[in-house]
Order: sequence, then structure tokens, then C-alpha cells
Amino acid sequence: MTSSGEPAVLSGETAQPAAAGVGAGNGAGGGIAQDLIELDHGTGGGMSRELISELIAPRLGSVHHGRMEDSAVLGIETARIAITTDSFVIDPIFFGGGDIGKLAVCGTVNDLAVSGAVPRFLTLALVLEEGFPIVDLARVLDSVREAAEQAEVSIVAGDTKVVRDGEIDKIFINTAGVGELAPEVELGMARVSEGDAVIVTSYLGNHSIHILSLREGLGFEERIASDCAPLAGLVQAMLDEHPDHVHCIRDITRGGFGTVLNEVADDVGVSIQIAKDRLPIQHETAMAADMLGVDPLYLANEGCLCLFVDGDAAPEILEAVRSHPYGSAAEIVGAVHGRAESPVKMQNGDGTDSVVEVLYGAELPRLC
Amino acid sequence: MSRCAILLNDLQYDLVNKNEERKAAVDAFMPGMTAFLARARELDALVVHLQLINDENDPHAERYDGWLPATKGSEGARILAELLDPSDPVVEKNKDSGFFETDLHDKLQELDVDTVAIAGMQTQICVQTTAADAFFRGYNVIIPSDAVVSAQPEDKERALEWLRSYCATILSSEELLAAIAADNLPEFSVVPIP
Repeated sequence: MTSSGEPAVLSGETAQPAAAGVGAGNGAGGGIAQDLIELDHGTGGGMSRELISELIAPRLGSVHHGRMEDSAVLGIETARIAITTDSFVIDPIFFGGGDIGKLAVCGTVNDLAVSGAVPRFLTLALVLEEGFPIVDLARVLDSVREAAEQAEVSIVAGDTKVVRDGEIDKIFINTAGVGELAPEVELGMARVSEGDAVIVTSYLGNHSIHILSLREGLGFEERIASDCAPLAGLVQAMLDEHPDHVHCIRDITRGGFGTVLNEVADDVGVSIQIAKDRLPIQHETAMAADMLGVDPLYLANEGCLCLFVDGDAAPEILEAVRSHPYGSAAEIVGAVHGRAESPVKMQNGDGTDSVVEVLYGAELPRLC
Repeated sequence: MSRCAILLNDLQYDLVNKNEERKAAVDAFMPGMTAFLARARELDALVVHLQLINDENDPHAERYDGWLPATKGSEGARILAELLDPSDPVVEKNKDSGFFETDLHDKLQELDVDTVAIAGMQTQICVQTTAADAFFRGYNVIIPSDAVVSAQPEDKERALEWLRSYCATILSSEELLAAIAADNLPEFSVVPIP
């Protein structure tokens, strides 16, 4: 549906109007005869259409709107939109707290949300490896549907490609998203200024530690789940209550909190000071990070925001964030100051300061 | 009465022969290790071998110059003969922690084990992760410091410090045997988890 409630005319190669439902067939859905993805599922012929109409569209259910057209034509009721795109290549594709399908929705929804936009439309492009189990594809699609329902976005266009065995690892997903911006919403780094408080909305590092632990069997995977979550609801609730006092929101994904702080300080020409003992870091995450020799400040998250807010209003905003299920671990962790020699510094528990450096090239691969 | 199980990690031909540093480190601790295990068995401690079996399809399995060590059924995957008693259970694992997707926890529970002493190779990987996993599952964890081995001594020291800080009591193997004999195993002082 469009924002005005009109049916969207949906998309290209994967779009097919279909009733929501789950078929029997191979146990995955619809009348797909095969158990594994074959190259012909991506050729645009009969098997492609069958995959779309018998599996993909039914699994996406009510969040999926469209026809077999080349593009989606959508109505919007705003003068400004936010648009973004992201690709998801995580390994492993299933993890505690989500999977690549949920991640592909949440990642793009969150990028829209932090601009202040209300996410409305997503595209969904699947690149599948020949031999990928259809039952796994069905599971991923179920997660896409559930996350889209929670984020209140419609999937309005899509694409499916199949590549030969070994050319990718199982499944890669690209989503693009469009959100509507209300006239009064104006968020961005340009609004960050001296006196702002810095709020982190969730535990730092859990997503990265969970994924690394799953890959290697490190023993932390059952104690630390991924934080993958759609955060548009949290952002909108905060903006509704404090429209003037929230200045900038950043999604703390790859590069982590340390990278966000350095980007903002560099862009705005300010310094930022944070307190180590205020950082929301789960005990087990600190254990794992210490073992692995990595710093939670630089670990990727998938459900954690950094807010720059008016310093005086920060306690009230913190309460608003904490009242949301995805913000219960939020903390005020620092403040923005005038320009200084070291753009980002951290007060340690022993009274000393350390510089939060810019991260160069130490990014761990395939965490999102 | 406490029941203690000694969990031995990765003491397998392919793995101990990976490089000269490892061979030397394992050679140095083998005499003490065999004596420790023999005495532990006499004291009715359970000796469990955690046997790493690498899966050809696992892209994360460590390869040595392009070949995959310790594959199922291979000679190199076998537990070192000097350390294996016919009565010892062997638990196959595919990852670092001995608990990851194995039935180790169920087996230990069936045998009323409440304390695990984690030994073997390497201290900073499989010993450390198995210890953390055991701690999270509620076991009292002990590390016999002279029954764990790393190719690099500094890795072992750093790992022991981490274990001491977060989840395990560090003893010598002699102290551990004495504690088992006296049924007086020390309890790790749990770090409160917020």
C-alpha cells in the first residue's frame, strides 16, 4: 500500500500479486517441486515465475504489494523523502535474534529512521547460490515478512538472481528503502553543537560478538544475542515527544561507536568526551572482547543508535528511550565540547583519559 | 560430594604436529600430563577427550597450507595414544568450545559432574572458550596451569590471566589432584553479572 492507502503498483521481476499463505509442496511453500535452488529459478522463465508466485510472494504475505511490472509506482504525501540502500552478506545467515532476512529489513529501515523519516517502502533483491535449500529461503522470507510487519513497511519491488555454486555464499540480499519526512523534522550532524549530550540506546558490541562466537564456537553465542531490531518506532516515539531537542541520530553499525563519534567530531569541528563506566556493555560481551583482543567501541551493532541531544533535555529523552523495548539499556555516555586537539576522548575508571582513535582497516568481515 | 571431569582439548596428532613450536611445547608437558591423568583416573575423576573433527564444508575451519587437518576418520584426528585410556569418553566437536553443538553438557549432567578441569591445547583458544562455555552453563571451572599448553608462552600467560579474572580457579595439577582426593575442590568466586 502507498502512504495514502492506495494499492502500490509493484515492481519488476519478483512482483506477483498473490494471496498470503503457506503451501505444502516441499515443506517450504507453494508448489515448488525442487528442494534446492537451481539456476533456472533465476532465468526469468517459468521456474522463476513459479518461485515468485508459489514461494516468495506467499511467504511475504501482506507486506508484499505489487504486480508483474518493471517498476513500482507509488504515491507519497510529503515534500521530502529519505532514500537509502544496503547489501547484506552476513555469515552465518541464521543467528540468535535474527537472520539475514530480518537484518536486510532492519538495516535499511534503521538507516531511514535515523534521518527522521518514517520508513514506507522497501525493495528486496535476492542473490541466491545454486543449491541453496528452498526451506532456508522460506525461513529467510518469513523473517523478512515479520520484520517488515513490525517496521510497518511494504515491500514494493524485488528481484531474484541465481548464481552458480560457489560464486557467492548461500544468499546475499540488497534492500533499498524510501521513507517520508515530516516538514518539521531536521536531523543531521550540522545540528550537533557544544553542550549536546550523547546517548547510546542499547548494549554495544553484542551483534559482532554473537556472530563471531557462532562462527568459531566460542561459547558466548547463547549468552549474547544479536541486537538486530527495527528502530523506527523508537525514533518516532522520541521525535514525537522531543521534536526540537533531538539534533542528530546515527545508526551504530560497521565501525562501531568509536567511528560514529570520530565522524561527527570531524564533520562538526567539535570534541566529544565519553565516560567508560557509562558505556552500556554487557558483562559477557566485555569478557569476549577481552578474550578476542577487540574493543566493543569499534564493534558493529544492528539495533543500537547514538543520539546527540540538547544537554538539558537529555535526562527526559533518556527516559523516553528507556521506555521503549529496544532502548531499555540506554545511557547518557558523554557530551560535546569545543574543538580540541583530540577529537574524541574517553575518561577511564581510574581517572585517566584515553584517545578514541579513528579505526583503520580492522573491520571484521561479513558481520552484516 | 563433587564430581570432577577433566576435559582435554585437541591433543591429536595433526594438531600437536602443526609446527615446531607446538611440538616442543607439547613434548615438554607430556610426561607430567600422562602422570596427571593416570592419577586422576585412580581418583575416579572422569577424563573426557574433546576431539576436534574438521568439516570439509566449514569455511572457517583452519587449514594448514591449504590442507584440512583432523578430518573425520583420519590418522591425524586420533587422540595421542599416551593420553587415551580405553575407559575415557571421547566427544567429537567441530569448533573451539567443547560444548558447541555437542552432547558434552548432557553427558556431564548424566554423570552428575559439577566441576570441570579444563586442560590441553591451546590455552588461549579451546581451553579458554570451553572454560567460558562451562562457566555459563553453571559448572565450577578449574584450570590446571601445567596441564594446558600453547605454542607461545605469552599466549598461555595472557589466557590464564583472563581465565583467572572471569571464570576459573587456577591451580597446579598437583593441587587439583590433592583437592579431588580430599573432596575439597575450590569454588570459583563468581564475578557478579549485572
